[in-house]
Amino acid sequence: MESIDMILDLKAINRCVRCGNCRSVCPAFEELGWESANTRGRIMVMRGLADGLKADADVLDSLNSCTTCGICTDNCPAGADVPDLIESARRHLVSQGIMTEAQERLSRYIFNSGNTFGEQKERAAWLRGRSRLKESSDFVYFVGCMNSYRYTETAARTYDLLRCFGVTLLPEEKCCGSPLLRMGFDARKLVNANVRQMKQIGARTIITGCAGCYTTLKNNYPAGFRVVSVPEFLAEHISELNLKRLDLTVTYHDPCHLGRHNKIYEQPRQVIEAVCKLAEMKDNRQNARCCGGGGGVRSGYRDLSLKMARRRLKDVPEGVNWIVTSCPLCIRNLRDAGAGSSVIDLVDLVAIATGQHQE
Amino acid sequence: MHQLLAFLSASGNAYIDVSSIELIKSQRNMSGILEDLLEIVGSRASSSIVERRCYAADASQIEGLPDFVVRPKSTNEVSRIIRLCSKHLIPVTPRGAGTGLSGGASPVKGGLVLDMSGMDRIIDIDIANLQAIVEPGVVQERLNLALKPYGFFFPPDPGSSAVCTIGGMISHNSSGMRCVKYGTTRSYVLDLEVVLADGRVIHTGSKALKSAVGYDLTRLFTGSEGTLGVITRAGLKIVPLPRSRRLVLACFEDAVVAVQAVLKVFSCGITPSACEILDKTTCQVLRRCDPKLAIPDDGDLILFEVDGHENSTVKEALHIAEICSPMALDVRVATSQQEMDAIWAARRLVGAAVAKIDPAKTRIYMGEDVGVPMSQIPDLIKRVQHITAKLDIPAMKYGHIGDGNLHVALFIDVMNEDQWERLRIAADRIHKVALQLGGTVSTEHGIGLARAQYMPEQVGQDALQVMRSIKKALDPNGILNPGKLGL
Repeated sequence: MESIDMILDLKAINRCVRCGNCRSVCPAFEELGWESANTRGRIMVMRGLADGLKADADVLDSLNSCTTCGICTDNCPAGADVPDLIESARRHLVSQGIMTEAQERLSRYIFNSGNTFGEQKERAAWLRGRSRLKESSDFVYFVGCMNSYRYTETAARTYDLLRCFGVTLLPEEKCCGSPLLRMGFDARKLVNANVRQMKQIGARTIITGCAGCYTTLKNNYPAGFRVVSVPEFLAEHISELNLKRLDLTVTYHDPCHLGRHNKIYEQPRQVIEAVCKLAEMKDNRQNARCCGGGGGVRSGYRDLSLKMARRRLKDVPEGVNWIVTSCPLCIRNLRDAGAGSSVIDLVDLVAIATGQHQE
Repeated sequence: MHQLLAFLSASGNAYIDVSSIELIKSQRNMSGILEDLLEIVGSRASSSIVERRCYAADASQIEGLPDFVVRPKSTNEVSRIIRLCSKHLIPVTPRGAGTGLSGGASPVKGGLVLDMSGMDRIIDIDIANLQAIVEPGVVQERLNLALKPYGFFFPPDPGSSAVCTIGGMISHNSSGMRCVKYGTTRSYVLDLEVVLADGRVIHTGSKALKSAVGYDLTRLFTGSEGTLGVITRAGLKIVPLPRSRRLVLACFEDAVVAVQAVLKVFSCGITPSACEILDKTTCQVLRRCDPKLAIPDDGDLILFEVDGHENSTVKEALHIAEICSPMALDVRVATSQQEMDAIWAARRLVGAAVAKIDPAKTRIYMGEDVGVPMSQIPDLIKRVQHITAKLDIPAMKYGHIGDGNLHVALFIDVMNEDQWERLRIAADRIHKVALQLGGTVSTEHGIGLARAQYMPEQVGQDALQVMRSIKKALDPNGILNPGKLGL
């Protein structure tokens, strides 16, 4: 077995000086109140593992209750890269077969079916009735598991918006691997399968409407493709979209993996402001609170995840028509936390403004 | 069963009667005690090894493994927990946010960590009586956010204001940059509710703004680091928020000239609301963290802040600039609120920022909180420079020069034992230099265990004996934060 020091990077762990600044921002700690559910505590647990602490259920709860939202990293005076540390600690445990039931279940679904839901049906069933896909193109729309199986209307609207720019889809798209990577598993098989198809198509630009897919394609896939989020793409082509002005006020929730992880703050706002009025949430951009859904927390700790989402909903300003975001996982968690159909994708808003979709 | 006793005890004069603690070491008693704790606080008690490890230390290098962690929600729960601990002679270490830098919240004798951060209600903001009543877990910044709409604030402002709790601040008599004008936490505590070592609950003061009624118990408990009782509620004096602030940045060739300028400003009748020194290394670190920050990096920088009415701050800022000009390499008044905010935000977090510059180095909080009479600051800086250069330990020096407080930030590769050894020697020499210069080993971070060894020299054997007598009278079994303060 690989030595523990090979995987748990002690130098990276030792950057933490235990100042506790993370207590002021960690969304899981805010709900649970125990140090083990705070970044500083999690790093102490990692140090413990390096000292021989047995990885029991409490260790897993500590490490797995982090959404990898990265707000502690942005506020860490010592510059600890916490999502990276958390993922490497999870990898270390998974490599020894130590994981929660939720981790095991989700990885089994993905490995067996190529999607996060264990769905056996056709991934692009939502495409039926539309014209045949081009076999080669510079542009690929990477749909992602959530939009392929749960928000198929959003997938169809995105595709319809992007079609006039010549996009195509991967014929056999697989999960991008994000949930596996975030939870400590090896995702190379999926990455290779997707990359092979991208190359066959001759794609140079990969466009995705899922924040989780975006950060994975951009930061975990081999270089050679330009990865663009749907908000970036729409902002780049705003003048070509023929947007009608709508008499609405919406707010925007920054998905952590689009915002803090990749600094995509202004493009979605630019698109919204081209369509209607924007009223900001109480905490926004780099200070935006996590919806609670990421990092495997929604699948492993549903109650905690929804508590974080309910707290995030308190940041919504009065009198807005919709809460707009650009991540299907955020949409799902915020909806389940009580916001229901008031949470929509940026693409759904744009589709109304282009007349593609009726309110 | 893990070791109940601390794996790190430097005081050599443990007050706790260890043999009596041995009584609780049987598995039967330990699980029985956990059951009793669960009965008092429900699921807010834990004996899991993960939680115990997470509460083993504060931000200092002092560690000790507790047997239990408990998060009470009310004075009644604290009282019942303390009664239980008193009955079974279980050490109790109260803890706020665990941001302390002296090991004050590290459970060096094992036992129970009492995490008070969940008692976080602001009970009353009483503007008519110029005070706020709070539970100990209220975070400093949250209190000030709540006071802001009323036009008031609670002035003591440690660098950890976004995280640290009022209870921890009172227990360490914390201060910060603005204390040069406003005084330390001690000046703002009007009344404390305290759970004593036998579980009784007392109040030490009243809502009156002044009081002359015998021994000043409020001041006794303030700064006592949890060794005399557990604070469960505090009445705090609050003051009006100044309407305007101005910041003057003055850069000097060296610290000697800088201190001369500071003394001259004070002697001209100006009391700045902050007066900070940042040495060359600190300025360089700040600039490299944020290249947009408009601070010079070729000299020792003094930040003078003045607050008050608009007209007076403009006049005072210009006056300070005038006083400093003949001595300084460069003097300017910050141009905007935004610039002031950026400089202060960077200054607050500079302590840990060095790791951003050199990932191989970690800032270790040792020898970091000395203070001397202000006129001795140049001498202190020179001697600290000499010590760190000789031991080849990189150091940043910054601090509240207006009250003689110098924070020395030593940074090392923590994987290198030789650097650790040199760091310990450097910290020890820095503490001794402060004592030789008539100063103090801690101005605002407290003694805990990290500085306990200097207590005899700092306060004298007889004064220390008086402290021990007070401790004995209030905590005869020595269960409250044992191993701290050199008692």
